[in-house]
Amino acid sequence: MAQPRLSAVTRLFTRVGVTVFGGGDPTIAILQREFYKRDWLSPEKFGIAFGLARLTPGTNVLAFCAATGWYVRGLPGALAAVLAITIPASVLVVWLTRAYDLTTRDPLAQSIANALVAAAVGTMLGAALLLVRTQCSRRQWLRPITIAVGAFVLAYFIKLSPLQVIGAAAIVGFLWAEA
Amino acid sequence: MNLLILYLLLVKATLTSFSGLASLPMVRNDFVVRRHALTDRQLSTAVAAGRIGPGPNGIYVVGIGYLVAGAPGACAGWLAMITPAFLIIPMLRFLGARAEHRRARSVARAVLVAGAGLMASAAMPLARDAITGPLSFAIVAASFILMAVTRVDSLWVMLGAAVVGILSLQF
Repeated sequence: MAQPRLSAVTRLFTRVGVTVFGGGDPTIAILQREFYKRDWLSPEKFGIAFGLARLTPGTNVLAFCAATGWYVRGLPGALAAVLAITIPASVLVVWLTRAYDLTTRDPLAQSIANALVAAAVGTMLGAALLLVRTQCSRRQWLRPITIAVGAFVLAYFIKLSPLQVIGAAAIVGFLWAEA
Repeated sequence: MNLLILYLLLVKATLTSFSGLASLPMVRNDFVVRRHALTDRQLSTAVAAGRIGPGPNGIYVVGIGYLVAGAPGACAGWLAMITPAFLIIPMLRFLGARAEHRRARSVARAVLVAGAGLMASAAMPLARDAITGPLSFAIVAASFILMAVTRVDSLWVMLGAAVVGILSLQF
């Protein structure tokens, strides 16, 4: 794994913080892909950060950012990640709160917001596929595909909460050891 | 309202919830019902502004802080939003070397791929809102292909979508 500079961590989280719309899930999806591309975080550490973030009170994605920042650069990394992902977005949310009536009536702002949410949807689906693909090999493909599809079914059709799905995946992961 | 009280009320709401908007009932009870510091309309404005802007849905507490006490209130809201996130670090420290155990790695990888299923599931309700015609479907498809198959930076995907959003109004 490559150890990035603190400035690179700050840059990535700032960028994701201001460009990703649609809430915490697309943010995690994009960060996963960017970590994979940069070779910053092992899949195991990503899994731990993802699972524990759901167990942490508050906004899960911020706990996820603190954990991944901590893994790549220790406490300064955690601080940089959380500050970078929240400060510019918070400034924007204050502005949007002030100008709410204006922005909701402006067709241009509406059109841009709709396009960005559509991009977030494609991004999440693309990142999900990439995530499973990186875990598959010739020797081992049944386990990751079964768990991913199972998680989707439990969350989407059976309506289990993310925390329950992660709990179920952890039990399966414990009982069904990797080849 | 005193900034410390504002911070404590918001941090109480964020610390006792496990996802972005789950803190909303407690925030409403404290600020609208009990203290009359906000109206329901102001609360809805902050939630909607949090949803249309970038970042997590839980960011609406910054808007709440702003509506209650201006810019210093927004800072108190921001602090209340980020405080619980750091609780994950003692948990990671506790896991430490235990995370290197074979079984622990197997569990972590299972949770990782379950995350893919959760992401796809979370994308479904968003997709219902986002796909309103052929153009938005094309944006979903193009961003899916770019993210899954190429190494193109996500920044360009988002900027490209924004440009399409602007151009779609011109033609």
